[in-house]
Amino acid sequence: MSSAALAPSRAPRARVLLAVAPGALLTLLALTGPLFAPRPMDEPVTAPYAPPGPAALLGGDQLGRDVLSRMLHGGSALIGGALAVAVAVTAVAAVLGCFAVLSPAVGRLVERGADLAILLPPVLGMMLLALAWPGGRLAVMAAATGLGVPYAVRVVASAAAPVAASGYVEAAAAGGERLWHLALREVLPNLRATVLALFGLRFVAAVYVISMAGFLQLGPRPPAADWALMIRENAPGALLNPWAVVAPSLAVGLLAVSVNLAADALTPAARRAAVGAR
Amino acid sequence: MTGTATERAEAATAPVTASAPRRAATAAVGAGVVLAKRALMLAVLLAVVFAAVELLPGDAASATSDRGESAADAAARRRLLGLDRPVWERFLDWMTALPTGDLGTSARGERVTGLLSAPFPNTLLLGGTAFAATLATALALGCRAALHPGGPVDRIVNITSGIALALPEFVVAVGLLLPLSLWTGWLPAVTLTAPDGAPASWTMLVMPVLALTVPQAGWNARIVRGALADQAGAPHVTAAHLDGLSPRRVLLRHALPGAWPAIATGAATSTGMLLGGAVVVETLFNYPGLGTVLAGAVSDRDTPVIAGVVACTGAVISLVLLCADLIRARTLGARP
Repeated sequence: MSSAALAPSRAPRARVLLAVAPGALLTLLALTGPLFAPRPMDEPVTAPYAPPGPAALLGGDQLGRDVLSRMLHGGSALIGGALAVAVAVTAVAAVLGCFAVLSPAVGRLVERGADLAILLPPVLGMMLLALAWPGGRLAVMAAATGLGVPYAVRVVASAAAPVAASGYVEAAAAGGERLWHLALREVLPNLRATVLALFGLRFVAAVYVISMAGFLQLGPRPPAADWALMIRENAPGALLNPWAVVAPSLAVGLLAVSVNLAADALTPAARRAAVGAR
Repeated sequence: MTGTATERAEAATAPVTASAPRRAATAAVGAGVVLAKRALMLAVLLAVVFAAVELLPGDAASATSDRGESAADAAARRRLLGLDRPVWERFLDWMTALPTGDLGTSARGERVTGLLSAPFPNTLLLGGTAFAATLATALALGCRAALHPGGPVDRIVNITSGIALALPEFVVAVGLLLPLSLWTGWLPAVTLTAPDGAPASWTMLVMPVLALTVPQAGWNARIVRGALADQAGAPHVTAAHLDGLSPRRVLLRHALPGAWPAIATGAATSTGMLLGGAVVVETLFNYPGLGTVLAGAVSDRDTPVIAGVVACTGAVISLVLLCADLIRARTLGARP
């Protein structure tokens, strides 16, 4: 059994690395971007919606600020927030999912929670929490975490069910081990592959939700540079300086696609169908 | 969709005549149980939303107050809006009025039903068209890909759907807006509203619908492809192949029927994404839908309006999920 489990995971390791590379590279670029910004990101350096020129390589935005510098500044918070949300959702879901398969009461609660969450479109829940709860990015991140957990728990629970039914867990339960020991020490360590795949998928979902919130002007406040917010702010001048809209759109699109590519590579083919809902 | 659901509900509650086949009766009762479950989930969701709005700081009376309004005025308005009563009392009032089609009164004193009566059909039109387009595209692409597994079409569909499903709707919208409207002038960039509150021309629907369809079509094409791949290994499909039937016939007549439950479930989960995405896309195209109402209501802390929007979208999603349940029950023949 071990050789059957190892063989498919060893062979495509290079492919997995290759698939993860674009996402990792883009993340690195966005996180270190502020260091390379040629101009201050919050001062006008050229005319509003000025076309690309020597003063600003990608032209000016709605206030004449350098689009390139704002691009280099605008990704770190988006990616950092999405990473934090993905880590939080995965961690909470991993622990809750393990409890859910061991305790029927928690299991039912998790099922109902997921049934409930599917009725509330994520954007609506986001608007509800983030706009009414002034706090900018933090509120958006809290909302994204809360809205992501129900699905994620269901994914972990479905992967943990066979583990929880295996003999050694039953033996440990019969031996009088406590619930938290069973969940965290006996079941959870066997779910590394699931948790890794789940993290990838939650990162994709978090990028989607957080950029959406930025676009709806729920998260970052105006002077801040944010790719999604830049698209919204500069949309009226898209004819004068298309780069002010195209560059951040490309950045968000590339980020979403490369992260999804990485998540796809991390997901074992057999699980792909099960890890359905976003 | 509404018709089927109510028919099923009536069938479930109506006394079953002795001559009616037993199977139909149990199916109807099963559908009734599913319907009741979905309705209960919706009620719980509304309670959660009501509680969430209450727990957040501030209330509608202070959020909608005019400049220079005194504390006494605000208190009077609070009394007028009924905000001084306990939450559960307001929630019960609101819930009991719901079956009569009354969604309550907004913080600015307007009927919520009236506020939503023009934008909601517009959003439904946008979301419904996108849903139909999504389903058609996903089925076409998924079936074409499954016809020759591993072939060039399969690989191209796999790659493009992987890219499409990851893109947020507003990125797709910008990608459409520049080439189709701003640079060429083929399609209007902004939605103009006709006197009856609907979009003035169908051309204004093209880009919002496309922006919503692209990501969801990518997502559903993968689900269709996956469901057909699962079916390809089933004994009856293998038997059909061995009988020498054409691959096309095997796919459409033998594999696809068994794949319906998975496809229906996938499409049903897309409904929420479509409605949520519609709210976002509406803001970019200035489309007269729920998005604008919602943005105003949230900043006003207008609980009845928010709950009304959540109730409407939740009801639509519940209905689609119900249809998926029924398709699953019909295909699998088991209890729903």
